[in-house]
Order: sequence, then structure tokens, then C-alpha cells
Amino acid sequence: MKTALALLLLAVPLAAQNGGGPASRLAGRVPPAALPAIDSLIAAAVAESLPSEPLVQKALEGSAKGVPTDRLVNGVRRGLLQLREARVIVGRAMPDQPLPEAHIAAVAAAIARGLDPAIVERLLTIAPNESPGPVLHAAADLVAHRFNPDSAADLLVAAHNKGLHGIRLLDVAVAADHELQRAGGRTHAEALARVRALLPNVPSADTPSTVTRRATKGS
Amino acid sequence: MMAMSPIDPRLQEALDGERDPGTLPVDLREAYARLMGAANLLQTIPATSVAARVMAEIHDLKPEVEDVRPARRVVRWLSRPRAVTLRLRPAWTLALAAGLAAILLMPTQPMNGPTAGPHEGIAQFVGHFPGARSVEVVGSFNDWSRGSLHLQDENHDGIWHAAAVLPAGPHEYMFVVDGERWVPDPLAGRYVDDGFGAGRENSLLIVRPTQTFADEDAARR
Repeated sequence: MKTALALLLLAVPLAAQNGGGPASRLAGRVPPAALPAIDSLIAAAVAESLPSEPLVQKALEGSAKGVPTDRLVNGVRRGLLQLREARVIVGRAMPDQPLPEAHIAAVAAAIARGLDPAIVERLLTIAPNESPGPVLHAAADLVAHRFNPDSAADLLVAAHNKGLHGIRLLDVAVAADHELQRAGGRTHAEALARVRALLPNVPSADTPSTVTRRATKGS
Repeated sequence: MMAMSPIDPRLQEALDGERDPGTLPVDLREAYARLMGAANLLQTIPATSVAARVMAEIHDLKPEVEDVRPARRVVRWLSRPRAVTLRLRPAWTLALAAGLAAILLMPTQPMNGPTAGPHEGIAQFVGHFPGARSVEVVGSFNDWSRGSLHLQDENHDGIWHAAAVLPAGPHEYMFVVDGERWVPDPLAGRYVDDGFGAGRENSLLIVRPTQTFADEDAARR
């Protein structure tokens, strides 16, 4: 199986993506009836110094899925609102500093995953100058596995204070999930306590260079 | 040092053809005969150049006694200076330069699969779709475009798979089965509402960079 996978490695033509401005990328892809409204939402994001790429992606996604025009526009509008909310959160976490678009986009993505804004703001403040994406996704992973949001944030702050940064914080969330699933069973609180005791030596969840997916069934 | 004796004027005149040798005294007549014989002999010997004589001397030299040990012979052959003359036609010189440039500019990555850079990772997609005619992955990494990343099922066992080099970071995606059915990856582990109000979720993939954690730690220090 591994050999077959190796032989079937395919390169995605990434060079084509992100080429040109939003208008040229949307033309021919977005239904003409939705295009004026979407163009104006993207223009509003640009005017407010918000990242426009998440909105372009949302418009392309909805168009590819054949989402009806009204829902497509609403989806893009919802993305703009999340970006605005994210900018407020980042501004509070990084007062008197220019707000990086990448931070705003990462916070908007965390909000879209359902992470509580207060948790997001707390995690932003532990390392304002680091990319917040990994720690926010780690927190969202823990919350998705029904860990208490505040306890999950406590664990990630502790991990950061023990020297774990960036993508390694995702391993903390994976380790907590593994502890939860151990034979005999652990409560969520026990799993968090167990991982906290391991810090900073949580196992790496995967090789750094690959994301291996297991065979999926069903569908 | 031997002094050169002056030649008799009568002998000189006979050698110059101004006097009949028969009129010379007997002793001068013998000297005349020896000198003319020597002159005739010089005319019959071909002229020999200095270079030819030097080369003849070289050929006559006895060869050096060669060391029979192969290693020492090789070392001696390699260390001995030798004159090398290289003649190139301009056309061949240009062809050689073009060939070298092509080798230097050729991509160095292996041809048997994608190679991820330091800010990229390799994502593998696998799904079980028995009876499907086609499966592809569509997501934020390819602008949600159809047709750029198809999964393969070469064994016809319903297991479809593909791999791709993607930028490190989060990517939302879905499988598209038979060109029309949008399906989330059931074991993606992470999902996010797609925001279009129908309760559909995208799968979320976080690609890890190829840069090792040790590299990251070293860079941080």
C-alpha cells in the first residue's frame, strides 16, 4: 500500500492559485448574479485593511459547490463579519501595534471553528508576535473533543511556557485526545492532567513532513 | 692551446683554382689531395639540424628503470607534469557550454514523487469509495478548482488515494465523487462549517512543514 501511495504521489499545480487580483480570479467562476455583491464585500474588506483572501476563497468554494446565489453571498458576508470580529480581538491582544493580516485571518478561522472569542484573545496574548494559527487550532481541536475550553487553554499556555511552539502545540491536543482514549478510560480532566505532567515531552503525532490519512470508510 | 699554422699561399691559390695543382711541390701536392678529399666527403653527407641531433640523443638514452609496483607507477604517472594540448572547434565549444548550463539548471528533485520545501508538506488523501468512477480532492489549496487533484484506484478495490505537496498550514477540502457528490473526509479529524447555511462541513487538514522540530528549535535559538 505504501509503495502504491509513493508511486501515485501527485503534485498539485499550486502555481496557478492566487494568481491575479480577486476580480480576475472570480470572473467566470462566480455566478454573474452574485458577482456584484461579492465584489462589494471584498472591496469593503480591502478598504478596512482586512485580508480579502478568505472571502475570495469562500466565493470560489460556494460557486464550485453550486450554492444558490443568496446563500453564496450570505456565506461571503458572514466571512466578512468574522474578519471584523477577529480584528477587534487581535487589536485588544496587540494594543498599539499594527495588526498583521495573517493574525486576523487565523483568528477568523478559529471563530469559524467555534472557539470562544475570550479563549482566542487569551491565547493570542501568550505570544503576540508568533503566528497564532497552531495554538488556536490546538484549542479548537481540544474543544471539539469536549475538553473544557478554559482547561484546554490552561494546558496550552503551560505547554507554551515549557517551550513548545508552533505546530508542536498541535501535538499537545493530540496527546490529550490519546490519553482520553486509553484503555480503561480517563476523564477529560485526568487526560489534561496527564499531558500536563508530560510537558514538554509530548510525543510527536506524526512525522514533520507528512500528514498521513487513514483509509476512510463509508461516504 | 694549439696555434693554427698559416696555409702556404701556393696551396691556397691551388684550392681557389688559381693555380694548377700539378705545379705544386710534392709535399703541398699531398696536402692539396687530402684537403680536396675532405671537401668532397663533406658534400656527400646530408645536412643534420640541431633539433634532429638532439632528438637522436634522446632516443639513444637508456630508459629509466620502472618501478614494478602498480600503485607507485600510478602515483608517478599522475604526479609527472605533462603537456596537454586541447583543440576545440568553436561550434563544439558552444555545444559543450550549452550542455553544462542545462545540467546546472536542471531541477534537482527526484522524478518519482513530489518533494516538499521547508514551508511545505506532503498531504496524502485516502478514501474508500467502492464503485466510484472518479474521486478528486477540491479545496482551498487549489482554489476549489475541479480537475487538478484526482485520486487513483489502480487495484479497483475501492481504495482511492493521492498525495500532493501543499503549503504548510490549514486547508479546507472535500472529496468530489463521480464529479457531482461532495463528501467530507470521514476521518479527517477536523471539520468546519462551510458557512453557507445548509449545515455542511468541510474537512480541515493542517499540513506540517518538512522543517524538523530540531531545525525550528535551532532557528529559534
